[in-house]
Amino acid sequence: MIRLICYLMGGKYMKAANFSYYEAKNIQDAIKIKANDEEAVILAGGQSLLPALNMRLSSPSCLIDISKISGLNDIIIDGDYLFIGALATHSDVMRNEIVSQKMPCLIDILKMVAHPAIRNKGTHGGSIAYGDPAAELPALAVATNAEIILSGQNGDRSINANDFYLGLFETAINQDEIVVGIKYPLLKQGQVFLFDEVCRRHGDYAMAGLIANIILSSNKVNDLKLVFFATGDKPDVADKTAKLFLQTGYDYDQLKNSLSSEIDFAGDLNSSSEMKLHLATILIKKIINKLEA
Amino acid sequence: MAANNTLSISFTVNGEKFNNVNVPSRQHLADFLRSQGFTGTHLGCEQGACGACTIEMDGKAVRSCLVLASQANGSDLKTVEGFDDKMMEQVKQSFLKHNAFQCGFCSPGMLMTTKEILLSKKKLTRDEIRSEISGNYCRCTGYQSIVDAIEECINEVN
Ligand SMILES: Cc1cc2nc3c(=O)[nH]c(=O)nc-3n(C[C@H](O)[C@H](O)[C@H](O)COP(=O)(O)OP(=O)(O)OC[C@H]3O[C@@H](n4cnc5c(N)ncnc54)[C@H](O)[C@@H]3O)c2cc1C
Ligand code: FES
Ligand code: FES
Repeated sequence: MIRLICYLMGGKYMKAANFSYYEAKNIQDAIKIKANDEEAVILAGGQSLLPALNMRLSSPSCLIDISKISGLNDIIIDGDYLFIGALATHSDVMRNEIVSQKMPCLIDILKMVAHPAIRNKGTHGGSIAYGDPAAELPALAVATNAEIILSGQNGDRSINANDFYLGLFETAINQDEIVVGIKYPLLKQGQVFLFDEVCRRHGDYAMAGLIANIILSSNKVNDLKLVFFATGDKPDVADKTAKLFLQTGYDYDQLKNSLSSEIDFAGDLNSSSEMKLHLATILIKKIINKLEA
Repeated sequence: MAANNTLSISFTVNGEKFNNVNVPSRQHLADFLRSQGFTGTHLGCEQGACGACTIEMDGKAVRSCLVLASQANGSDLKTVEGFDDKMMEQVKQSFLKHNAFQCGFCSPGMLMTTKEILLSKKKLTRDEIRSEISGNYCRCTGYQSIVDAIEECINEVN
C-alpha cells in the first residue's frame, strides 16, 4: 500500500514533518494523552509508522512512544488461549518456546513478514492495530477467531478479530484505546492452520495470501474457513467459497467464480485485481496440496 | 505534558559516549548518525526496503531510517565504522577477495547482515544465504560475489 501511494506521488520521498515526541511511562499515561489529542499517534515498533512519516503520508501532532512500557510483551498460555502482548516483537514471537509448541504456524507466517532487522523492531500489536490489508497477522487473527484486547479510559475490553477490521486501515480502536494484546484460541483436536502466499521477493508484502483454518475428521476436511490477505481493503473471509469447496472439491473455474462474487479484489502496483483473483484461486490448491503432503 | 520538538539524548556509538546531545524529535537515527560524522550509515530508500542503513542497536540489527534518534536515548549503537573486531576484519577481507564491494553503497548493511548470520552460527546453503540477505538490495554485484564471500566466511568462522 505504501509503495502504491509512493508511486502515485512520483516516488518523491521526504523527511518527516514536525511532531513532538512523548515517551509514555505506562499504559494509563499513554491512554490519557491519546484520549486528549486526536492527532496524537501511538509509536510501537515504528516499522509501518516511520515509513509513512518519512514519506509524509501521515503528519501527527505527537508520537506517543509506548515501546518502553514494561509488561506489554508477555507470551503466555491464558486458559484456552495463547496470549501475545502487544509489544512482543516479531523476533520475540519467532523465538518463543510456547509459540513453537502451541502455534507453530505463527512462526512459519512470521518468517514471511519483512526481514530480520525489521522483525527485531516491529511488534505483534502494531501489526494487528495497523490493519494493513496486505499484512499476514490481521488475516491470521480473523482466521483463528482471535480476541483483541484493548485498554481505554474505562478499562479493558475484548473484541473478536472478525469485528475488529472495518475497512482500509480502519479498525474498531476508539480514540482513547490502545491494543494491549491478542488472544489466539488454542488448537482443538483435528484443527490445523495452513498458510501460503505469493510475493516477488522473500519478505515483501504478498501479492495475495491465504490462511486456512481447517478441521479434519478421519483425514477429511470437515470444516474450513478461508481468509485472504492482500486481496481487498481488509482481511477477506470467503465463507461461500469454502462451502463450495467442501461440496465439490477443487475446481478452478467454479472457485474462481465464487471468489470473484465474494471478494472485492483491489489491484495494486504489483498485481492487477484479475491477477489477484487468479492467485487467490491457486492458493486454495496450494493449501490443499500441503494438507495432502 | 512533557512532549517536545527537541530532545536531549545520551547514547554510545562504537564505544564512544555522547552525553546530552540535542536532537529534533522528527529526525531519524540514520540522519542523526550521519550528522554526527558516522557517514558509513547509508540511506537508500528511507522506508525500510533497501537495508543500506542497517546498524546494530543494543545488540540487534535495526533499520536506522525506521528508528527515531530520540528513541536511541540510553542505547548502545554500533555502525560499520565500529566493525573492527577479528571476525569483522575477516569478513571485510573476504568481501574484498571476492569483489563483493563494488560501489560500496549496500556494503554497511551487507556487513551487518553477514555479522548476524555468522553470530547465529547457522551453516547455511547458498540458497539460504540468498534468503538471509533478501532484505538488502545491491545494485552492482548481482549478489553472486556477496554470496561467495558470505559462504567463505561461514566456512571459516564456524
Ligand atoms: C520493508 C518492510 C517490509 C514489511 N513487510 C511486511 C510483510 O510482508 N508483512 C507484514 O505483515 N508486515 C510487514 N511490514 C510491517 C511490519 O510487520 C510492522 O512491524 C508492523 O506492521 C507494524 O508494527 P510496528 O510495531 O512497527 O507498528 P508501528 O509502525 O509503530 O505502528 C503502526 C500503526 O499502528 C498503531 N499502533 C501500533 N501499536 C499500537 C497499539 N499497541 N495500540 C494501538 N495502536 C497501535 C500506530 O499508531 C500506527 O498507526 C514490513 C515493514 C517494512 C518496513
Ligand atoms: S534507507 Fe533504511 S532501509 Fe533503505
Ligand atoms: S556494491 Fe554497489 S550497491 Fe552493492
